[in-house]
Amino acid sequence: MASADPILHFFTIMESQSGVIVKETPKLDLDLYIANYRGRTCFDRLLLIGRSSVPLCVDALKAAISEAKKGKDVQRYRDAWECIRIAAPTDPESQLDTAWIDNTEKANRMETARLEAELKQYKNNLVKESIRIGLRDLGEHLEQVGDLGAASDAYLRMRPEASTQAHIVGVAKHLIGIVIQRRDWPSVLANVGKMLTGGMSDEEQKAHQPFQKLVTGIANLHSDKFYEAAKNFLEVGDPSICQGCNDIASANDVATYGGLLALASMDRSELQSRVLDNSSFRNYLELEPHIRKAVSMFVNGRYSACLDILESYRADYLLDIHLQPHVPAIFSAIRNKCIVQYFIPFSCVTLESMNKSFAKPGESLESELITMIRSGVLRARINTIDKLLVAVSTDDRAEMQAKGLEMAKNYEKEALERIRRMNIAAADLEVKGTRKGVGNAMSSISGETWFDDTRRQLSQGESSAG
Amino acid sequence: MDQALATCLAFPPEGPLDDDVAYDQAIQAHLLKLTKLLKDPPVPLCQYGGQLLELTDPEYNSLSYLAVLHSLCVPSLVEPREFVLDKLVRFLLGFDPRQIRYAGSHLSEILTAVCNGSLLPPAVAVEVVSAAILKIDPTGSMFTSTHLQLAKLAYNTNNIDPALKVVEKNIVFYPGMANSKRPAMLCDMTLSPSVYIHKDTGFTNPVKATSVLEYDLLSGMMFCSKRDWEKAHAAFERILTFPTRDGGCSKIMAEAYKKWVLVSLLSKGKVIPIPQYAGPAAAKAYQILGKPYKEVASLFDTTNAEELRSEVEKSSQIWQDDQNVGLMKEVLSAYQEWQIKNLQKVFSKISIAEIRQQTKSAQTGAILNSDDDIEALIQNMIISNSLKGVLEKNDDGTVFLTFLPSSTVLSEAEYAQELAKTAVQLKDLEPIFKATNERLGTSREYIKHLIKEQKRAADKSELDPTMGFESHVDDEDLMGGVTSTA
Repeated sequence: MASADPILHFFTIMESQSGVIVKETPKLDLDLYIANYRGRTCFDRLLLIGRSSVPLCVDALKAAISEAKKGKDVQRYRDAWECIRIAAPTDPESQLDTAWIDNTEKANRMETARLEAELKQYKNNLVKESIRIGLRDLGEHLEQVGDLGAASDAYLRMRPEASTQAHIVGVAKHLIGIVIQRRDWPSVLANVGKMLTGGMSDEEQKAHQPFQKLVTGIANLHSDKFYEAAKNFLEVGDPSICQGCNDIASANDVATYGGLLALASMDRSELQSRVLDNSSFRNYLELEPHIRKAVSMFVNGRYSACLDILESYRADYLLDIHLQPHVPAIFSAIRNKCIVQYFIPFSCVTLESMNKSFAKPGESLESELITMIRSGVLRARINTIDKLLVAVSTDDRAEMQAKGLEMAKNYEKEALERIRRMNIAAADLEVKGTRKGVGNAMSSISGETWFDDTRRQLSQGESSAG
Repeated sequence: MDQALATCLAFPPEGPLDDDVAYDQAIQAHLLKLTKLLKDPPVPLCQYGGQLLELTDPEYNSLSYLAVLHSLCVPSLVEPREFVLDKLVRFLLGFDPRQIRYAGSHLSEILTAVCNGSLLPPAVAVEVVSAAILKIDPTGSMFTSTHLQLAKLAYNTNNIDPALKVVEKNIVFYPGMANSKRPAMLCDMTLSPSVYIHKDTGFTNPVKATSVLEYDLLSGMMFCSKRDWEKAHAAFERILTFPTRDGGCSKIMAEAYKKWVLVSLLSKGKVIPIPQYAGPAAAKAYQILGKPYKEVASLFDTTNAEELRSEVEKSSQIWQDDQNVGLMKEVLSAYQEWQIKNLQKVFSKISIAEIRQQTKSAQTGAILNSDDDIEALIQNMIISNSLKGVLEKNDDGTVFLTFLPSSTVLSEAEYAQELAKTAVQLKDLEPIFKATNERLGTSREYIKHLIKEQKRAADKSELDPTMGFESHVDDEDLMGGVTSTA
């Protein structure tokens, strides 16, 4: 099925694999963007862009191939080649470089064997420190080769050999690096916990804070805990140390993740105090001025401007390895918050002005408002006759009265029910099970057991009511 | 005959009987004479029984009247039927509750005969039995075997209204409760019904758990046929939370659960979770047995009318087997009403045309044919008070519905009045509470337990001296203590 346009063909395949496809041209510059990172994440990011972005597809895939060839991971090269083979069959990169593959595989095997032999020797010598170093080298090599399972085994075996706090932290960092690549988010949180086991001085703690907060934030983001994740990103701390974590995410990413998630999960005063007035996070915001602008727009109540900014960057967010799956959820959370915040000062707004601020031209906001009201996000009612959105004014007095009467009624009902159950038990009228033997034994001592039994059941009901 | 008449008229005596003791003595003596008369009559009673009834007053000489009536009705009715039955009805509607406490078994035999439906036409039978039950126990808080007979008769013959006054009462006492002892004097009008209604006084036969469940099921179904969904819901809930032991669950409970699900859709528009105090084994059984019902319920809350309809149709055999076809039809027809009611959570004013577009009938799975149909439906809902709102007309002729706030603010005085009303209701529970407390407080097990507790407390206080001594030392200067003992 040789399609006339290989790129089109490629993206139909991607779509059938339910991948995200971004047609708009993003604002990012591929070379500058990827220069922010080092290590294995470069390739992952390039491949993701290649598979998602229509305008950047071929460039990104080519970059991915050259990135893969720089390393030792053959499987990665094959993955990238599979893509480019379809997307750009005419390019020289689409020829499989079997010579490179053979050479690299051979070299990898030899290196693995060498490291294992070395490790064996260290083990015979029983020197803890050399065993640790041997394991670390082996783990790093295996990671580069792409054998993540074996690599994490090697790192795990380092733990018993660790003799200082720094060693333990090192083990944890290596392991977290692996589980992030495997996208195993609960393990990230577990390993962060292990990394923090006491005995660290303030200074050390500060040095590890960026890494620790960054990975916790990413794990929380993927677990849909936006508020926790936002707080983590806002607390990352010193940007110069954070720069060192660019094998996971860059400082620009911290600004974007932190800002977006804060917008999605915090209210205006919290945004002001935690984001805009946060002196350490300001350094990050300077890297991504549009995020700062969006946040301050939101805080100043210019919601549609805020949404416009974010909307114009949507393509960029969709090409980020961590944000991609969560963009729709984050955007709709921000949008809902904008609508709610916009409506707060009014008791009544015309639907027309709501449409002007939030709806896409020619579309009506009504169905979105209906879903928001149904889900309880927006406390308002729609008046379709006068085309108004009316705030619900709660009459506290009426509510209190209704509650009081309700409570009195329930009290009476419960009292009656309790007495009734007691008397049923006293009259030995309970429905009994057919467990033979046990049942007989129970009924012979029923005089002792009945009231304990009912009391327990009722107190369960009570605890749920209370 | 004259002698018999004299015996019959001898009680109550002319003069006032000052207190319960005198009353009790007089009636006991009278009872002996009556027993003799019935057992060993000079002339068979059925020959002149009619005359005796003519000459005695059912309201004044209730006990004697009952004795004569009983011998005429049980085991079989004597001629002339019309005459005796007329007397029977007059008696059951007017007897003196204090006197007949001494002849409970005779009265219940008569009531049983009436409930069997052979004596009186069902409509009359239900009416008089309900009246009699409430005369015996005005609080209606004690369950008797007669209750179940009445419920069966009323439901099976569709004479529900006259039975409602009995069925609506809260039942909290049951025959056969442990430690209920015979009272000293039955004529004491302050006695709790749980004391004088007893299988020994003959007012009830021993009951089984299934009788209680069956009674609640019947009353729930009666409320259903009266479309009083709230009360039906409460009745079914009593069954499904019925106390169980050893993982028990009866078939009636499972049947009640199915009806309960449907009725809660009708009364609340959704299914509330099973109360936590339902037996755990029973709750598990409900989840399995009631699955098709749960599925219908989960669709009821959505806007997907078509799916609800097909789901109901798919399992129509199940509804038929469970005899819930009628309820299911009610659920389908109530669906659209609940959809309209739910609109008030989103809209404050909405035009009829929009309501028609947004709500579907679950009977057809489609929107209604015309705006007029919707308008009529809403009119009915407003009239029946299930929807608070008004229909208005715009200048350009569009009819629209304005939802009104569901709760109106009461004035301080009205609110106080409402609260006072509940307080009174709670006070009304006091005798019930007292009776239960007395009965439980004097039970042998409880007293044993109490003595054991007291003994333990006493043991503790014997231990106390040493404890006190130690704490004493703690308070003092330790060194000083050591030197003084040394």
